[in-house]
Amino acid sequence: MSMKTTTLWGALALGVCLPAAPALAQDCTVKIGAVLPTTVDWGRPIAATAQFAVDLFNEAGGVKGCKVEMSLRDSQVDPKIGVDAAKALVDLEKVPVLLGAVSSGVSMPILTSVTVPSKVMQMSCCSSSTAFTGVAEEGKTDGLWFRTFATTRNQSAVAALLTQERGYKKVAIFYKNDDWGQDIGKLVQADLEKLGIEVTSSTAITDGQSSYRSEVTEALKTQPDAIYMALYPSEGTLVTREWISLGGTQNMVVANALKSDEYRDNVGLKYLGNLVGHDSAQPRTASAEDFVALYKAKFNAEPNGPGLPNSFDAAMIALLAMQASAESTGPAIAASVGRVTDPAGEAIFPNKEGLEKAIKLLDEGKNISYQGGTGPVTFDKNGDVSAPAVAWAFDESGTREVKYFTLDEVNAFIATLEK
Amino acid sequence: MIGIISYLTFFLTITAVLAIAVLGLNLQWGNTGIFNGGVVAFFGTGAYVMVILAGPERAGEFGGFGLAWPLAMIGGALGAGILAFIVGLATTRLRHDYLAIATFGIAVAVEVFARNATFWTGGAKGIRGFERPLEAFISNPFVYGLFYLTIVLAVILLVYLALERLVRSPFGRLLRAIREDETAARSLGKYPARVRLQAFVLGAIIMGLAGGLYATFYAFISPQDLAPILTFQIWAMLIVGGAGNNRGAIAGTFVVWGCWVASGWALSSFAPADVQIYAGTLQYILIGLLIVGMLLAKPRGLLPEKLAVSTHSFEPVTPAKATQAS
Repeated sequence: MSMKTTTLWGALALGVCLPAAPALAQDCTVKIGAVLPTTVDWGRPIAATAQFAVDLFNEAGGVKGCKVEMSLRDSQVDPKIGVDAAKALVDLEKVPVLLGAVSSGVSMPILTSVTVPSKVMQMSCCSSSTAFTGVAEEGKTDGLWFRTFATTRNQSAVAALLTQERGYKKVAIFYKNDDWGQDIGKLVQADLEKLGIEVTSSTAITDGQSSYRSEVTEALKTQPDAIYMALYPSEGTLVTREWISLGGTQNMVVANALKSDEYRDNVGLKYLGNLVGHDSAQPRTASAEDFVALYKAKFNAEPNGPGLPNSFDAAMIALLAMQASAESTGPAIAASVGRVTDPAGEAIFPNKEGLEKAIKLLDEGKNISYQGGTGPVTFDKNGDVSAPAVAWAFDESGTREVKYFTLDEVNAFIATLEK
Repeated sequence: MIGIISYLTFFLTITAVLAIAVLGLNLQWGNTGIFNGGVVAFFGTGAYVMVILAGPERAGEFGGFGLAWPLAMIGGALGAGILAFIVGLATTRLRHDYLAIATFGIAVAVEVFARNATFWTGGAKGIRGFERPLEAFISNPFVYGLFYLTIVLAVILLVYLALERLVRSPFGRLLRAIREDETAARSLGKYPARVRLQAFVLGAIIMGLAGGLYATFYAFISPQDLAPILTFQIWAMLIVGGAGNNRGAIAGTFVVWGCWVASGWALSSFAPADVQIYAGTLQYILIGLLIVGMLLAKPRGLLPEKLAVSTHSFEPVTPAKATQAS
């Protein structure tokens, strides 16, 4: 081995070993696993928010008096890596609860090949695919699967409602060409058509292209009076710019993934006056404002990225369920989720005082109703949430809420669509 | 303890599955010099065809034949072979970097097809697999893990022995002759184009087999599994292990995949909490450093190819013997 390589190996060994494990404050620790795409720009804040929830919980005393440690692993948005990380967390670190993943294409193999066989509870902040509902309905999740992101079904109905309210008659759809985008694109189209609104085109947008001129031109030919976009900020920016520069309408309805300052700044606020977005998160409740205030105090920024309140709630509910559960096993914790999200229980806001109260109530055997960043959360039998919805628009400071749809309004509207 | 064994079982299973694909690439690149830049296309075809053949019915989508698992595996491998045959015919005149770009394009096309042809492949949401073979009889997931590992190890042993035999046979020598100098091989009355096609298809069948085992293990396949990174990983494994040496290919898989997951584990265990968020990015740097370091130390791979130049024909020319003779 030459000199050069020896140095290289040395540097490598140093790099791995130098950051020593931090000393533990309390004498006992409880572990919780997380598999999130921290190599991706929008994934990093999701992980930071989950860690923030864990820190808050520790300030309030931790789970059963023990300090919670979140073992975070990167999924690299690669199913192989994500499943391996999940398996390592479950087998080596013995976590009873796993947070993650973000992409449905990573969450699904983790669910089928790691968490369900090993009886570990899995709670995702952001996987929205309707495929999970199908798996749960077949009884293949053993009640171990939860997600705090309203299913695409819920989102598409609100998108259709917003389109109808604004009186648009002909709509062109752009959707991200991944599992989430295909799902929501198809559902929105079906819902719009049910409302008698014509869908002039439905175009898949594959990310990573430098231009979407041909896709945009094709859609433009159909002369819609509004567009619907289920895109992420990077490709959404390009599509919107090209759409507007080619003379397309500025009447836009967009999914929550575009609720970002990056998108607003890169397109320019003056073109986004007629844009309205939908989101399942941040309803006009005290708890949602509480979350925004908490987030601002911690990160000194608005929680504008996709999935942030959802990630916060996923971690919090998991931790509260661990507190509520007599045993520290996946099935026992999963069974305790109902105690934490009981609408009849006492309302709990996830700040330090609220958490201290929640821990006390749970220890007394009482149920609580968790009210977090996405409002009062309740899971149905498939582990899905039906969240209230909110319409939002961009303004100088970020985003503002336009209209709030309560849970009942959303459910009633979905019912009329499915008649 | 059970946890460590359980994880090791899992790790070995995935490593062995990837190693099979690396063996396939070794036949193509290591022995024949075919620059396949689209490994994932054949891996993915094997996986998808297998799941479609053996999987349950999907509402409004193609498939649901419920074939016995071994048959479906063979079907998947054949599917990959057929794709390779078509690709091989179409690219018969391409060499080196041109072939790499063409095959890379094929891989992208396969991924785009899987992502968009919802009727055939389930689109971006992927296809959920089926109960793994004999899973109903082995309810303990730990024991089942060991059982599936045994299946995969049996397959890799079979592939390894077959390839070892193949590369030592006259056909194997012909492959290397073509790799070294096609014109020379042609001058000896061989058909490089046909032999190259044979090696390409054979390698793809092996990759398809790996894909089938992969999708069976996860009971799920989606376009996300067909990302180009897999091609890169397989190549890195072969180069680090030693192209042209089957044992090197397997060793390379262990080392590269081991480093890949161990670096993630090490960072999540030892990095301080505020660096954790960037651990994923650091991991990429570590993996890159590791591969570069390995190549600097062992440029021809961990177990380099043994250059088995036919010893008999060279015997009389060695200087010592030459002097003896005179």
